[in-house]
Amino acid sequence: MFIYLDKQSLLHRLHPVTKIVGLILLFIWSMMFNHPLCLSIIFVMVLSLSILAKSLSNLEKFSILLIILALFSTLLWSFFLRGPTRLFKLGFIQISKESLLYGIAMGIRIDTMIVSGIIFLSTTRTEDFTQGLSSLGLPFPVSFALSLSFRLVPTFQATTSTIVQAQKSRGLDLESGRLLKRIRKHIPLFVPILIHAIRNTDLLAMALESKGFGFRKRRTYYLQFRSTWQDWLSIAILAGLIGFSFYLRLSGYGVIFHRI
Amino acid sequence: MKAIEVDALTFTYKDATTKALDRLKFEQEQGEMVVLMGHTGAGKSTFSRCLNRLIPHFHKGDYSGQIRILENSITGKRVHDLVDQIGLVFQDFESQLFSTNVELEVAFGPENLCLPREEIRERIDEALEMVRLKGFERREPASLSGGEKQRLAIASILAIRPKIVIMDEPTTDLDPQGKLEIFLVAKLLKSEGYTILFIEHEAEAVREADKIVIMDAGKIVTEGKPYDILKDSQLLENHGIRPPQIAKLLEEINEPMLSLTMEETLKVFKKRDWKISDEKYTALLEKDEQHQIGYGKKIIEVKDLEYIYPGNIKALDSVSMEIREGEFLAIIGQNGSGKTTLVKHFNGLLKPSRGEVKIADEDTKGKQVWELGKIVGYVFQNPDHQIFADTVEEEVAFGPRNFGISRENLSLFVENALKEVGLEGYERCDPFSLTKGERQRVAIASTLAARPHVLILDEPTTGLDYREQKSIMELLENLNRKGHTIIIITHSLWVVAEYAKRVLVLHRGKILLDDQTRKVFSQEEKLARSFLVLPEIMRLSNRMGRTLLSLDEFKYCLKR
Repeated sequence: MFIYLDKQSLLHRLHPVTKIVGLILLFIWSMMFNHPLCLSIIFVMVLSLSILAKSLSNLEKFSILLIILALFSTLLWSFFLRGPTRLFKLGFIQISKESLLYGIAMGIRIDTMIVSGIIFLSTTRTEDFTQGLSSLGLPFPVSFALSLSFRLVPTFQATTSTIVQAQKSRGLDLESGRLLKRIRKHIPLFVPILIHAIRNTDLLAMALESKGFGFRKRRTYYLQFRSTWQDWLSIAILAGLIGFSFYLRLSGYGVIFHRI
Repeated sequence: MKAIEVDALTFTYKDATTKALDRLKFEQEQGEMVVLMGHTGAGKSTFSRCLNRLIPHFHKGDYSGQIRILENSITGKRVHDLVDQIGLVFQDFESQLFSTNVELEVAFGPENLCLPREEIRERIDEALEMVRLKGFERREPASLSGGEKQRLAIASILAIRPKIVIMDEPTTDLDPQGKLEIFLVAKLLKSEGYTILFIEHEAEAVREADKIVIMDAGKIVTEGKPYDILKDSQLLENHGIRPPQIAKLLEEINEPMLSLTMEETLKVFKKRDWKISDEKYTALLEKDEQHQIGYGKKIIEVKDLEYIYPGNIKALDSVSMEIREGEFLAIIGQNGSGKTTLVKHFNGLLKPSRGEVKIADEDTKGKQVWELGKIVGYVFQNPDHQIFADTVEEEVAFGPRNFGISRENLSLFVENALKEVGLEGYERCDPFSLTKGERQRVAIASTLAARPHVLILDEPTTGLDYREQKSIMELLENLNRKGHTIIIITHSLWVVAEYAKRVLVLHRGKILLDDQTRKVFSQEEKLARSFLVLPEIMRLSNRMGRTLLSLDEFKYCLKR
């Protein structure tokens, strides 16, 4: 499903450039620490941002994905890293206190990033995104193509599910068989999906051209954004928080493994 | 002033051997509405794309000839040089829409023209007014009905204010209600002074045109006033167009035609004392009853079926029905009425949220699609959603192989299926090189080859011309006669009337009517509540107090 929510909120009102920069800052921020406590604080702040953006309903939609990703990443990192304080050992599998904490931190980090992304997409129309990218200096066709790719995901999903159902009706059984055989079984799906994608892109390109896409180098925008004090303040707060965090990090806080 | 002048236009697609357009000559006055007809592959779309220079810029090939738009030659111009003169609306509205809401969709064109914001605002208002979508500004295009989507696509072109609007089969993928909406918009545009070139299959809908032009093999075969063209049934049928049935009826009973409307015809019948024979009508009713006796045992049984899509959308609500072996059932209803959701329960693609579905006396719960597929075959609407193999033979063998048909039998099954659909000799062909009608046959054969007892077809005639539609339906009729149970989903009510023996009408997830075709089609008012408008010839017979399902039945029953 397409996840933009047509509501009124501070985040809906912000200039798209502010939101793009903000998203990047949030990503950087969550990359700074690898201690679960610090990341939890960031995560809670991002969560409260989603309340401010009135996009909790979208988070609910993705909640299962978020939980699975967090668990998966916790498990994976706990197994692969070796720390000094061993908690558990069974054959070649061992978990240490440090690796477990690091794993939890990574789980929170990936969720923080995804939640930030969801907030961004819930409050930003593809058109806003296009305009934001253009005002950051990208040429219009490039920004248009970039944001359009987000827009086309649901359409593509719908077609894929139709194709899967059509082939299942012809007796295609994707669940059984060995790996290699199973991969081969996907050919009846890939071919129609690929052909559909090519044909669709072709049609879209024609429709765009028929509406004067690329008519001139410049174009106007129906939507107009003006940056206000809210934009400056938002960026300032975020930058301030990140600056402070950087100082903490340099002082050695919020880290489990120093090497990573 | 001439809006369009075309002389000796010839075009051959890259890698093609035959000419798509062949020394085509065409003229259209400003303010005229011209309807372009002709069977699939006649070159209509190719022609329309030449007019706004998508050909030769987008589709490459051998191009020659002269086109003048509003008295200026367009040789050497690019597509965007012409946007404010010619607007082109495509058949496939789904892939034309890409914006977040309706007003931004319409704004896209004017934005590209670098217009100031105020002017864009005005143009959005004007364009939405014209297609009657005012008040929809903030709606997401995906949430609109088919007809509304296509009207939005038209509005997004109108906002560029082209003088000429070309619509390339805009109604093909729409339900009857949606089609009607588009015809109304076309009429309105004409009254506003637009020059319109309308590519369309349905003859009954184009009477307001100033001129009908018929194309074949890349040339214009004939043109004339709607009345003169539409009364020539032979000419229409030769070019893949279904003639208006009333006109054909009058022609066949040798009545001089004064007009093509239903009211006029009723007057003629009254004056000349034409009546429907009671005796013969009773014979028709008896035949209906006899048909029912021939059905076998229950093959599909649905009890209190309810289906809820994620997001708590109830698509089916307390649906109960049964289908017996040998039936020919049509399921009709508006888009979103639950037709496809219902039949997806018949082969296990969907499982009931509540209630039960039994196939050959076995509950579908716990059954896999590939198990049920041996009994119930399902042909999806678009053959291109399933064709993948290099040869027709391989494509058709895919189903039976999955269902575990032995190697010795496989080639026999494939051969039989191809013979059944009339594609013998195509075994080694590349399915992608075939026409849409042929690909539809490949899809049917690939389902048929596994020899399921029941055959479900979703919109088997959409996107085909009259000749192809008829031959697909005759194929199904033949299979039904050989014992297959046939279930079709369709918007085309004449197809239902002429081929189906029983009709199920769905309305907002509930069964509105379920009975013999004749009995269902006698209830015009109830059907109208579900926006289903009967073909003219049936309405004519209903007005005369009887329900006749086809031209042949009418001819059979008329006496004086």
